[in-house]
Order: sequence, then structure tokens, then C-alpha cells
Amino acid sequence: MAVQEIERQKYISGVDVPYRQKGLLITPELCIGCRGCQTACKEWNKLPGERTHNRGTYENPPDLTPNLYNKIRFVEVETQQGLKWLFISQRCMHCGEAGCMKVCPAPGALYRTPQGAVAFNKDKCIGCRFCLAGCPFNIPRFDSNSKVSKCHLCSDRISNGLPPACAKTCPTGAISYGDRDKLLSLAKASGFKAVYGDKDLGGLGVMFAFREYPSFYGLPDTPGLPSSIVFWKSILKPLALIGLGGAVAAAAAHYITIGPKEPEEGGEQ
Amino acid sequence: MSEYLVQRTTTWERFNHWVLAVSFIILCLTGLGFLFHSLNWLNTIFGGNHLAKEIHRWTGVVFTFSVLFTLGSYLGESLRFSKEDTQWLLNLGGYLSKTAVEPPQGRLNAGQKVYYLVVVVLCGAVIIISGFIIWLAPSTAGWLRLGHLLHNLAFVVFVTTVPLHIYLSTAANPGTFRGMTRGTVTKTWTKRHHSKWAKELGID
Repeated sequence: MAVQEIERQKYISGVDVPYRQKGLLITPELCIGCRGCQTACKEWNKLPGERTHNRGTYENPPDLTPNLYNKIRFVEVETQQGLKWLFISQRCMHCGEAGCMKVCPAPGALYRTPQGAVAFNKDKCIGCRFCLAGCPFNIPRFDSNSKVSKCHLCSDRISNGLPPACAKTCPTGAISYGDRDKLLSLAKASGFKAVYGDKDLGGLGVMFAFREYPSFYGLPDTPGLPSSIVFWKSILKPLALIGLGGAVAAAAAHYITIGPKEPEEGGEQ
Repeated sequence: MSEYLVQRTTTWERFNHWVLAVSFIILCLTGLGFLFHSLNWLNTIFGGNHLAKEIHRWTGVVFTFSVLFTLGSYLGESLRFSKEDTQWLLNLGGYLSKTAVEPPQGRLNAGQKVYYLVVVVLCGAVIIISGFIIWLAPSTAGWLRLGHLLHNLAFVVFVTTVPLHIYLSTAANPGTFRGMTRGTVTKTWTKRHHSKWAKELGID
């Protein structure tokens, strides 16, 4: 196998944390809620606009859709210091230990790019939607053919040395793109003690420098794979093969030791 | 019919049994192909992942009807559990010894009754209902996680017990398999393995 092929296999296998060089650092306190990233994402990915209606908030559309890979969530939180109005980019986190890739039954439908993004191939996707069950952040959405749609970290841009459209357009530096380790040291130099996604889920490709609790922004404080997925992956899946092999082995062992119930002498069976 | 033979299954029972068996094998192979990336080559046999998905779904519909049709054949008898059935289960049908005597059994032995109730009916219901949840329920993470968890739990039971069912009805008991192919078994076999049923049929 050529060296390149071995490298490629490592990328798509989902156990390639050392290879995940690139990522985003999102600093919500720098976000001014302009939603330029939302628009730039739609433009680069040629995603059509969608009709929505006024819900009394700047947050729009209300949720991610197959045509909306990145959305600014507007959050109002009452604290002892008064009302906080918070903005955060909601999108695929490009987990190092990606639940969607773990559960996907169609190899290649979700894959790891050499830069560390979790990208998708609609031609290989069979539309089972299981990736949504594996995702700790409720991110994948499905188009009219039931095929997966989500942020792919502009894998077509970053593979050509360009930053993702969202980071390129962000006017305040709330979304910065670069080498993961450099982004981490940048955040630490800016006085953030902990970075969300530094180590969680094998290291997130999209990290957050928070001043507030992650739960204020609708994110789990300690993100992890859904417990039913962990149980399924680590217990049930092996058990299926152990059970099948064990049953066949038990039958064979019985046949050569105790043996079948032989026909009685003289009796026609 | 030959004076040595007894009718064990009706044509309808045999037909439905083989519909169930073939659909199960197709579901099992495509399911394994989806469950393990290392076994994904199985789905190549079925024309690739896209076609294998459709085959898995619609074979599941066939499997559903086939399981429903078995209820009429076996449910009533499986629910009638006698003292001899308990004895049969306690010495595991005599399979763990060369000399054990089988307690008198009806047309279905106690093992077949338990297999039918626990695997075919209970796990069958779980794998069918969860399959339709995965296919048709609203695509929220909650429904999908529940569906896949149940589908895989029942699958573990099926892949563990079906090979035993196949072994016990073929190699382990010579003379049994013809009951599901030609539909007849010998009177000697009947007296040996299902003496209570033989008595009901008036075979001495």
C-alpha cells in the first residue's frame, strides 16, 4: 500500500487526532451578532435562502437546516449582574472522536479530511439519519433526499490553504482559523484558563474561549458521546459477533463431544 | 402416506417457515454489512449500500408478515406449558448427556416453545417495531437512539439463538429436518422425540 494511501486511511478512520492540525477558535465575547459568517457560509456553499417569519428575535432562522450550516444563536440569560445577551456560532464541532462517523453504516459518507474536518459525501450517504443519533451536539440536518448536510469546515477552501468562509468574513476576530495548537496558545495568552473542546471528544476542531458557562450558550458543560451510543458501540456490537461465533462453536463442540441423538437401533428415522 | 410416516407440518407452515428463514438471512447479512465496516463487503453482494438499504427495509416488511403468520401455527401450543415441559427444560432436553431420557413432549417440545415465545415473538416484535421506528419515526436523536438500541439488542439474541435452532433441527437430531422439507417424519422418530404427540396420534 502506498504511503499516501496509508495516510488517507488514517484520516478517514476517525482515530487520527495527531493529524487534526486545523481548527477554529470561537470567542463569543468578541461576537457582535452581525451574522456575516452565516451569510458568507451560505454564499460559499451556494445554499439558498429560506423564508422564515418574525419571532421577535434577531436569531433567524430558528434552527439549523439542510441549507444552513452555521447559525448565530442569540441567547438572553438573567444573571445576578443583570441580563446578558450572548451570541454563539452553532455548527458542526468536527470532533476528534466523531460520534457521527462512529455510527455511520455507509463508509465514506462521512470522512475525515487531511486538515481534520469531518466532511460528507452525499453520493455515499444512504439517508439513514443515524449520524444525528451519534452527534453530541444535535448538528446534522437532512435534505429532501434524506442526505446529510452540515458544516464541513469549508474543506474545499482549507485544502487549498484558504480559511473557511465564516472565519474569512468575521470582522471582529470572534472566529479565528489556524493550527489547532496555535489557536490554543493564543487563547491561553489572551487570558482564557480553559478552552472548550481542548480535550473533549478527542479534541474538538471548533473550540470556544468562554467567559460564561457553556450551558449559557446551550452547550453541554462536559460534552461526551451519548451513553446509548457508547453502550451500543462498546457492548452490543462486539456481543453480536461473540454471540454468533459462540453459538456456532457451541453447536460444533456439542456435535463432536456429546453428539447427536442417534437413531435408535433398528428404527427407521 | 407410507405406514412409517407422520405428517408433522402443513404445506403452509413449511412455506412460511422458509419465507421467514430466507428473509432472516437476507436481513442478517445486510444488517451485519451495515453494523461493521469490516463486513461492509457483504452489502456489495446486494448491489452496494444504497440498494442494500432498500433490500433490508422491504425484506423487513416480508419478515414482519411472516412472523405474524407464525402466530396462527405455533402461538397457542407454545403457551400451553405442561409439567413434562418443565422437566424437559430442567434437564435441557437431555442434550448434555448421552443417556438422558426425554420427558414426553407434544408436537412442539419445551425448547421449541421457549424459542418461539422468547426469540420469534418477543425479540421478533422488538426488532420489527424498532425497525419501523428507525425507518418511519420523526428523525430526532431520541427516536433514532431508542430504535437502534432496541434493534441491536434483539439482533444479539437472534444471532445467538438462530444457529442453535439450525443445529438442533439438523445435525443434532437426525430425522428432524425432513419435517420442514417434505413435511413428514417417521413414526420411530415421533415416538423417540415427541412421545406425548405420538400418543395423541395413536401411534404405539
